[in-house]
Amino acid sequence: MSEPNTPENARKMEPVEEQPASAARRAFVRLGVGAVGAGYASAIGYPIYAYLATPAQRAAAAAAVTQTQLDGADKLPAGSAMMFRFGPKPALLIHHADGTWVAMTAVCTHLGCTVQYEAPENRIFCACHGGVYDARTGANVSGPPPKPLTQFRVEVTDGSIVISRA
Amino acid sequence: MAVSSYPEPEAKTAAKKGAGAALFRWVDERLGIEEILAFARHKTVPEHAHSFWYYWGGVSLFFFLVQVFSGVLLLVYYRPGVEAYESVRQITYDIRFGWLIRSTHSWAANLMVFAIFVHMFSVFFMKAYRRPREFGWWSGLALLGLTMVFGFSGYLLPMDDLAFFATKIGLEIPASMPVVGTLIADIVRGGPDVSEVTIQRFFALHVVVLPLVYVPLLFFHMWLVQRHGNAMPPAEEAKPEAERRTIPFFPDFFSRDMGMWLIALNVLAGLAALYPWQLGPQADPIAPAPLGIHPEWYFMSTFQILKAFGRWFPGEAGEVLGIGLFTLVLLLWAIIPLYDTRTHAGRRARAATWFGYFVLAGLIGTTIWGYWEI
Amino acid sequence: MNYPFWDVPIIGSGGVIAIIAIFHVMISHFAIGGGFYLPMAEAKALREGREDWMRTLRRHSHFFLILTGVFGAVSGVGIWFSIGLANPEATSTLIHNFVFGWAIEWVFFIVELTAAAVYYYTWGRIPDRLHLKIGWVYAFTAWMSLVIINGILTFMLTPGAEWLGVAGTGQESGAFWAAFFNPTYWPSLVLRTLVCISLAGIFALVTAARIDGFAEPKLKTEIVRWSTKWLVPSFVLMPVCFLWYLWTVPESQRQLLNLGIATIGQGTFTQVTRSALVSVMTSATILAVVYFTAWRNARDFNMGWAAAVLLLALGATATTEQSREMLRKPYVIGEHMYSNGVRRSEVEHFNREGYLSGSPWAAAHASESAGDAAPDRGALMFRGQCLACHTTDGYRPMKRLLQGRDRASIMNLLGTLHEYGENSPYRAFMPPLVGKPDEIEALADYLDRVVNAGAHTAKAE
Repeated sequence: MSEPNTPENARKMEPVEEQPASAARRAFVRLGVGAVGAGYASAIGYPIYAYLATPAQRAAAAAAVTQTQLDGADKLPAGSAMMFRFGPKPALLIHHADGTWVAMTAVCTHLGCTVQYEAPENRIFCACHGGVYDARTGANVSGPPPKPLTQFRVEVTDGSIVISRA
Repeated sequence: MAVSSYPEPEAKTAAKKGAGAALFRWVDERLGIEEILAFARHKTVPEHAHSFWYYWGGVSLFFFLVQVFSGVLLLVYYRPGVEAYESVRQITYDIRFGWLIRSTHSWAANLMVFAIFVHMFSVFFMKAYRRPREFGWWSGLALLGLTMVFGFSGYLLPMDDLAFFATKIGLEIPASMPVVGTLIADIVRGGPDVSEVTIQRFFALHVVVLPLVYVPLLFFHMWLVQRHGNAMPPAEEAKPEAERRTIPFFPDFFSRDMGMWLIALNVLAGLAALYPWQLGPQADPIAPAPLGIHPEWYFMSTFQILKAFGRWFPGEAGEVLGIGLFTLVLLLWAIIPLYDTRTHAGRRARAATWFGYFVLAGLIGTTIWGYWEI
Repeated sequence: MNYPFWDVPIIGSGGVIAIIAIFHVMISHFAIGGGFYLPMAEAKALREGREDWMRTLRRHSHFFLILTGVFGAVSGVGIWFSIGLANPEATSTLIHNFVFGWAIEWVFFIVELTAAAVYYYTWGRIPDRLHLKIGWVYAFTAWMSLVIINGILTFMLTPGAEWLGVAGTGQESGAFWAAFFNPTYWPSLVLRTLVCISLAGIFALVTAARIDGFAEPKLKTEIVRWSTKWLVPSFVLMPVCFLWYLWTVPESQRQLLNLGIATIGQGTFTQVTRSALVSVMTSATILAVVYFTAWRNARDFNMGWAAAVLLLALGATATTEQSREMLRKPYVIGEHMYSNGVRRSEVEHFNREGYLSGSPWAAAHASESAGDAAPDRGALMFRGQCLACHTTDGYRPMKRLLQGRDRASIMNLLGTLHEYGENSPYRAFMPPLVGKPDEIEALADYLDRVVNAGAHTAKAE
């Protein structure tokens, strides 16, 4: 392991030749390597931050909204549905043919596409991967969704509908 | 990383002004970093036509570090037991960048096994196991074995149907051992079939037991490398002293090591981004096994040998012969430092090399054969 | 459906183009960048009277001649073969518009190849200044071939309003120059020229790696470092030029990238974004790896490292080209022809008259199989409209993408694709499904058979 020969001495000499004129170039090379390093650090750091921060961000977003009022929504004809925003996310209000009201989130539990109400089949359908939910309970009936849609509480008053977290 | 500080020769560093240099001096005074750097500069690494293979141990280490890091991150959301599948589903589809962390962990696991295999065969063909490096060889083999157990136990944790059936199939390997086989398989599974109980014990194995054994062994392995230095292949040893080349470990070898790590990181990130690891449907123990289910690629060779022997010699005999052959080759592989002891090329050395070719060709051949038959 | 379809299993017909084209792009860009590298290095060597540099350059020009003259040229012809088979409609449109463009390119190409051969074989046989001039002739003609082909390549992404105005009227060639100097022409030309320059440096490192660093440390250090500098212009200017390029790309295509970036946290982001990210990352890695292994350890830079850098460059080229191709979705010729060869103007016609009814190939198929069974119209629909981008079990496989869907669910999806509503989640990536209702039913039957026949043999990755 001890140095059997001295090619290192030769190599130590080389860079020295180039030293004098290269101060600016060294700064440039450093800047470049620093920039690439910073790029890598942020490309690794940001996903990790986002990964760890997800529950906190979700909780903050969820806590921000507990109820929402939809003016004039009580005029929605029976057997039809409307989309609204509950906090940051789309939600679905269905007025069933028998007069009952149901509200639930419209975010598919599979991969997060927005679902839609299909009146003829009286079901909730996700066009992305063909998931089907029950239009009354939000239960996942067929297709890939692993969980039911979350239901909201619906209070019908004269002139508006108040949706709140169940 | 010390990237920005190492190009300076010692004298220059000391003379440097500024907050960075002041901080360095403050730390150096207390921890003696300069001594370590001076030692690293003094250390040399042989440079020859095959020195490319010296970097694969480092690459394996890099992937291990990635595994520790991404594994800890997965641990933040993973829940073993009945909820295992649901928690992995959340990680993959719900938590932001969870898919990336999981893909990284899965891909790095495969790349790590691959890198260790490359490292092992390069050590074998460079005959780096000879005196005084026998313990390096043995500890390396143990590390490879543990890595494969890591892979096997980790593969079940998502509990999707692929994981479930691959684990079921994979456990046929220990189960086919004569006499004790069934007993071992039952203990590993925690019952007659793979279930939540199995996940729980695989989890304990994967995140507590294996790291506890692995890390000290890894330090032992690296300490041996440090103690004995990089081995030279026989062709290089045969050269007269004056014709041998070396480069300083620091900064030359180290900066190339960093280059290699960057390439490894890039390959890993590319695979994780372009081919994200999928999550299959939840495992259903009652469902029929999908056709062509097979264990991970690094168990394919063993799996195929057992399968073939079972076909040639029906009944107990096939299992015994298959396991017997496998154990014999593994044993011969492990004791090679005791057999091929000469420093110069001789009959024994040639026989060892041929044995290496045989094992390499056998591994690759049976693996391809295994995939062919799926 | 005027042409038969090329069914390539596993990798798909597009995969064949990709494999050939990625090699071609790497080598052809080297052919241009190297065209500047050789005379510039030769001029430097002559000026400084460096015999050892001349010796190395001569060796490099040998490597250069073989690589570009053989692999570059052959793979270029390979692209012609594969695109003609994979997408005959689009290839035909390109030829109808740009036949003179290609004629011009061929002139430059022949001069280029001749100059490369003359340059190599006249080392030391003719006066130095004349030899240098031949090098510059090569550089100019090689770069001109990029100037020409770039017009045709960028046309496919952004044909421009003027050409689209006359498309389908038979007057298209009147808009030749407008189509040629289309909106993405200039940024693309600058970007590609920058790539050429950096590839010249990367390939020069291959030759530099062959110099014995222990015998000639000074020469090796100089050549390696000088070649490394060729990477600098592109890495400084690339980000700016890339933004310029994006700025000229139509809003609808830019959305593909934006959508991808917005959904990256969920992991559902678009393939074009994945490729673009890997491309950016690999380019940064090339810079860092070259710094660590070539710039810092010039004397010990060996073939293994050169190969590693080349492989990284191959990865960067592949992902860059892939994301550029995907940016065109759902078109093969922007706003004019969908990626499966259906012209936008024909959609209504196909829906009314049927996709298969006008096809001579469907008719031939029908007459062949008459007697035993009705022709499988679903399979023909699949070949005609899906095969351009999908395969059964390889690249973007139907078996995985439709996994778990029954016949009704498949039909549902086909309905969404056929309606092609403004809110359809597929609109940004996929062409509309054309044809009469019974043809679409036949396709659903066919896909149902493909996906659900061997449901339990389908193996996840």
